[in-house]
Amino acid sequence: MMDRYTKLQMVGIYIGIFLFLSFMLLPFVEMFVTSLRPLEHLRTTPYQFWSDKFSFDAYRQMWETVPLLGRYILNSIFIASMVTACTMLLVVPAAYAYARLDFPFKDTSLGLILAINMFSGAVLLIPLYRVLKALGLLNTYWAMIVPGIAFLIPTGIWLLRSYLEKIPRELEEAAYVDGASRMYTLRRVVLPLALPGLLVVGTATFIGAYAQQFLFAITFNQNRELQPLPAGLQEFVGRQQVEWNQMMAAALTGVLPVMLIFFFLQKYLVAGLTAGAVKE
Amino acid sequence: MATLDLHRISKSFGTAKVLHDIDLAIKDKEFVVFVGPSGCGKSTLLRIIAGLEEASSGKVVIDGADVSDAHPVDRGISMVFQSYALYPHLTVFENIAFPLRVQKLAEPDLKQRVMRAAEILQLTDKLKLKPGQLSGGQRQRVAIGRSIVRNPKVFLFDEPLSNLDAALRGDMRVELSQLHRELDATMVYVTHDQVEAMTMADRIVVLNGGRVEQFGTPMELYHHPATKFVAGFIGQPNMNLIPATVLGTDGGLTVEIDGGHRMTLPVDSSAASAGDKVEVGIRPEDVDLGDGGLSISVRVLERLGGVSITYGTIGNGETRFCASLPGDAAVREGEPLHLSVAPSDCHVFDASGRVLRRTAAPALVA
Ligand SMILES: Nc1ncnc2c1ncn2[C@@H]1O[C@H](COP(=O)(O)OP(=O)(O)OP(=O)(O)O)[C@@H](O)[C@H]1O
Ligand SMILES: [Mg+2]
Repeated sequence: MMDRYTKLQMVGIYIGIFLFLSFMLLPFVEMFVTSLRPLEHLRTTPYQFWSDKFSFDAYRQMWETVPLLGRYILNSIFIASMVTACTMLLVVPAAYAYARLDFPFKDTSLGLILAINMFSGAVLLIPLYRVLKALGLLNTYWAMIVPGIAFLIPTGIWLLRSYLEKIPRELEEAAYVDGASRMYTLRRVVLPLALPGLLVVGTATFIGAYAQQFLFAITFNQNRELQPLPAGLQEFVGRQQVEWNQMMAAALTGVLPVMLIFFFLQKYLVAGLTAGAVKE
Repeated sequence: MATLDLHRISKSFGTAKVLHDIDLAIKDKEFVVFVGPSGCGKSTLLRIIAGLEEASSGKVVIDGADVSDAHPVDRGISMVFQSYALYPHLTVFENIAFPLRVQKLAEPDLKQRVMRAAEILQLTDKLKLKPGQLSGGQRQRVAIGRSIVRNPKVFLFDEPLSNLDAALRGDMRVELSQLHRELDATMVYVTHDQVEAMTMADRIVVLNGGRVEQFGTPMELYHHPATKFVAGFIGQPNMNLIPATVLGTDGGLTVEIDGGHRMTLPVDSSAASAGDKVEVGIRPEDVDLGDGGLSISVRVLERLGGVSITYGTIGNGETRFCASLPGDAAVREGEPLHLSVAPSDCHVFDASGRVLRRTAAPALVA
């Protein structure tokens, strides 16, 4: 098992991984380097990789330039968390129903739900605006949470359903024969076994929620206090100049909590993504 | 006390009818085995008894009460699945305790019942492990443990041993028979392994194409198979079936089998008439060496030590014939072999596959 690959193949694999990761991670490196540069550096040529003028000043100044920055970061996390929690609450029973129960129009309704994914949020902004206005939700947190949930449910159902389908039906039948109700079986048997799947879906939802905030925030919310980070970053665009270094510092600080969560969930995520690939 | 009666059970999946008017009466404390080829409806019938599947028509009656619409727990059944269906995230203790937790049984009582089940199944030192840390046989015992803690009236097993290797299967067979005696319960056991059926059953139900071919004790099925199908299914190696023509019906049935040999067989010949096409069934273990009119050309010889199994053809070379002979029988592959069979050991099946009752065979075992 250990030497399935020859040395040459291993070298090739590592080169491939290196190229791939560089492509993915270089923007972050550049963000970080930019956040360290003094502002005047950004317009000098030739491009300097390093200089002794680099400092972490931007990380201090950003809180002064944009006083509500902390609030924006918390808003971002709050909105994404609410979206994730509500989405999971709706997705779990729905995915279970699609995985296990028989009801009329099962395939049709699932198809319709998935069809939502064919519209990007942008296409629906105007109708959504009207709906939110009618409901009186404009300029509240809900204006950014509710549409977020709606757009994340389809993928959530789809992902979790295929995961739940892999749990052997006989386990549930055994529980049924022993007198357990559907809810009891869901709680004691199905969900514990689906934990890696739930983590995968939860994380995917959280990322999705984090990413789509921007669009909903700038269209449905004008209340500065409720703005999430991506919208708040706009404030680094000043009248005379753009505080690029501070903006990058703020963006990095904003994604840091998410990165940390990922770091700790990594083990489970990999387990979840490969579940069912190997027989128990 | 737990009798189990099935009244005219039928089941269709869409347009496919998989069970046809099944009638069975299973007695208290009986160990009944359902056997039959793959797809004959064994599992479906068992699941209908369990309440996991609804019959299209017919009634399931346990202890005289119609339970056709009752929940499995109210039927008083418990079931062991082929795949064990253990909960991988729970310990052995919690797996066995599961039905009792559902009932919200008080902790001391629950513990005592789980411990007792664990003792019967020799799992006491495994209670803290997860199913993934157990061997196949141990997992099977945990599954059985989960089914006995509830003290059900009827135990249902769906091919519980089919995932085990041959040696372990032999051990578990003995353990299950022992368990049946200890628990004094009614058990219904599905398998397609005829050895399991013969060794464990009080009575066997042979299913074929969703119909009951025969319901009887193992020896009844062996000595008095009701149909050609049962005859071919019970007994190893399979019974030989030789095409024959009826010559006369006086004092038994006189037939000429393929290859020209004539025999008069002690069977009920009242429904037969001369010229009928029938099949004569001869079990491989009922033949002896010696020129009794059966001449076989041997193709393959398997010497197993105590016995030698020969495979060959009889008559014009189109009918296969298998014989089980003493281990050191002087037989060679490719050489002709002469065998004899006692007429009273022969079975006769009419053109529709039904048996002509044997009149000189061992009496039906009560
Ligand atoms: N849920 C179902 N939907 C449609 N057809 C089914 C269903 N369950 C079983 N069948 C069909 O019913 C027939 C009997 O199936 P069953 O599982 O009872 O067979 P079995 O005797 O247990 O076979 P095996 O020995 O392979 O387990 C088969 O032809 C099968 O295809
Ligand atoms: Mg089956």
